[in-house]
Amino acid sequence: MTETSERPAPASEDILAIDHLHHRYGNVTALKDVSLKVRRGEFLTLLGSSGSGKSTLLRMIAGLEMPTSVDVFTLEGRPMAQVPANHRNVSTVFQHYGLFPHLSVGQNVEYGLHVRKIPVPERRRQAEEMLRLVKLDGMYDRPIHALSGGQRQRVALARSLVLKPAILLLDEPLGALDEKLRLEMQIELLSLHRTLGMTFIYVTHSQEEALTMSHRILLMSNGEIVQEGRPEDLFDRPSNRFAAEFMGMENIFTAEITAIDGGVISVTVNGAHLRGLWTGKTQPRIGDPIAVAFRSEKVKLARDKGALGGDANRFEATLKSRVYKGKYLDVVAASALGDVRLRLWDDHVVLSDQFKIEWRPTNTVVIPID
Amino acid sequence: MTVHAAHTPKISEWPVWTRLGALTGFVALIAIYAPILWLMIMSVSGDPLSGIPGPFTSEWYGTLVTNTNWLEPLWLSVLLGLAVAFTCMVCATVVGRAIPRIRQGKGAILAVALFPLMIPGVVVGTALFLYFRVLLGLKMGMWSLFAGHLVWSFPFALLAVLVVALRFDTRLLESGADLGASAWQRFRDIEFPLLKDGIISGGLFAFLLSFNEIARSIYLRGRVETLPIYLWQQASTKTSNVPLIYSLNVIILIVSTIIVAIAFWLLFGRREK
Repeated sequence: MTETSERPAPASEDILAIDHLHHRYGNVTALKDVSLKVRRGEFLTLLGSSGSGKSTLLRMIAGLEMPTSVDVFTLEGRPMAQVPANHRNVSTVFQHYGLFPHLSVGQNVEYGLHVRKIPVPERRRQAEEMLRLVKLDGMYDRPIHALSGGQRQRVALARSLVLKPAILLLDEPLGALDEKLRLEMQIELLSLHRTLGMTFIYVTHSQEEALTMSHRILLMSNGEIVQEGRPEDLFDRPSNRFAAEFMGMENIFTAEITAIDGGVISVTVNGAHLRGLWTGKTQPRIGDPIAVAFRSEKVKLARDKGALGGDANRFEATLKSRVYKGKYLDVVAASALGDVRLRLWDDHVVLSDQFKIEWRPTNTVVIPID
Repeated sequence: MTVHAAHTPKISEWPVWTRLGALTGFVALIAIYAPILWLMIMSVSGDPLSGIPGPFTSEWYGTLVTNTNWLEPLWLSVLLGLAVAFTCMVCATVVGRAIPRIRQGKGAILAVALFPLMIPGVVVGTALFLYFRVLLGLKMGMWSLFAGHLVWSFPFALLAVLVVALRFDTRLLESGADLGASAWQRFRDIEFPLLKDGIISGGLFAFLLSFNEIARSIYLRGRVETLPIYLWQQASTKTSNVPLIYSLNVIILIVSTIIVAIAFWLLFGRREK
């Protein structure tokens, strides 16, 4: 336990605070030293692949599972660590929706109000209003089995929202929907978030969903938070190799540091020199195991002297393969670094077998391998 | 010039097997239904004991109203059936909803719970009789009939509950808790309504099994006369009551069929997609 330091706590600002949460199933560690704070009105995303612990963390916040150990766990300033789900002012939209098949749409939406003993006319009024908000007006008496997947999703949403929870928890809510519906629902969720001013915690494995919707993203892997930040932080400046891979950096090479000049790091890969920006959490030292990473779409064809200026990373390259993708062209080229992937958006690229490629050091990240 | 020999079928491919299968099936069905059909015809025949149908009359059904000896055994059987059915419904609900949630040893527990299905009725009857009467020195009566019928009916009721309990999605209870429902509210509002059909049909099966039971009852009845025992005794004596047996049996047959039909409809007929 740390001493209570005299930090001016923005406690009234934080709707949820968790410190040093651990969770184990038998010998398996599901969550390892997770700490997070969520501000009122924030749209926070827990991003990670399956098994990363993101859903477990959400279930802990919902109260559906109790942590093995945690130092601080407060919701709206009240300790919550051992409070069961039915006494927490949060509500979950499940991926499987969890709608009650023997109740009508309206009865499903009203269920939370029903157990809170709200009088019938009042809860009917609130349910109708919420159904209007999710664009299911007039569906009050429909049975659940007569609804499409997208409509069920909306009923689940209305059922949670009608309770006006402090935090709305969304567990891969769009996972079961088709592409088109998913994009529509993304926009609708964002507009609901704006309209209601509610705090949303959203779990997804899709970096695209996370980037589109969130104020802030927690990237999780193996039960730990590996990086936290705004969407652009994660997208442009992943702070470790896992984050770089997960956020879709196609070019990653193991490298060695040759020089450190403030934030700009000079490295060698297979004897080839290039430069990039350090994004790791701790300061690098020469000799640390590191990697260098950059996105395929940041790599350009260098014409003549090069368009990106004198300090660009620039290499001779040989064409290995090209795949036409309609909007762009995916190219693999052999260079001194190894195989480099390029994504060319220029309509009429004519590639010879030999060419030069270049990209900026500011579009290159140098990251620790851990 | 090549000649293709006609294809000679193997013995297992002979068409006679299909015909033989249909024939034996037909014979079996006749063996099952002919006595029942004959019973029904005799119940409306003038002289059932002659074995010759006709002249047709509703006389025997009329006599059932005037000769009311059968009413007390019927009343006892109904009472016993209801008690057994109710107890089975409660126990089968408790056990049936627990079994899908067991992580380890589910199969073993299920096997132990269902094994009484395989034990012959005479064995259970004698065993219970010797245990109660000889070991514990108790007198037989309604209570021992109740115990014997319960042992017999419970596995069937459990099977009926399991049909729906295994289909039940326990994640619904999580969403109930998430919406603020207490454990009792979750059971009352979510789980029970979805298990209800299985519980009721389990009760109906238990009632019928108890109502028809004779093998165990012989040992356990003491002086109590249930309807099946009454009918059996009447059928084996040469009294003027015998013609009544036909009409009474037809009524029991019709009522039982309706109860079974309801039970199956609840279990399988009402499944929503």
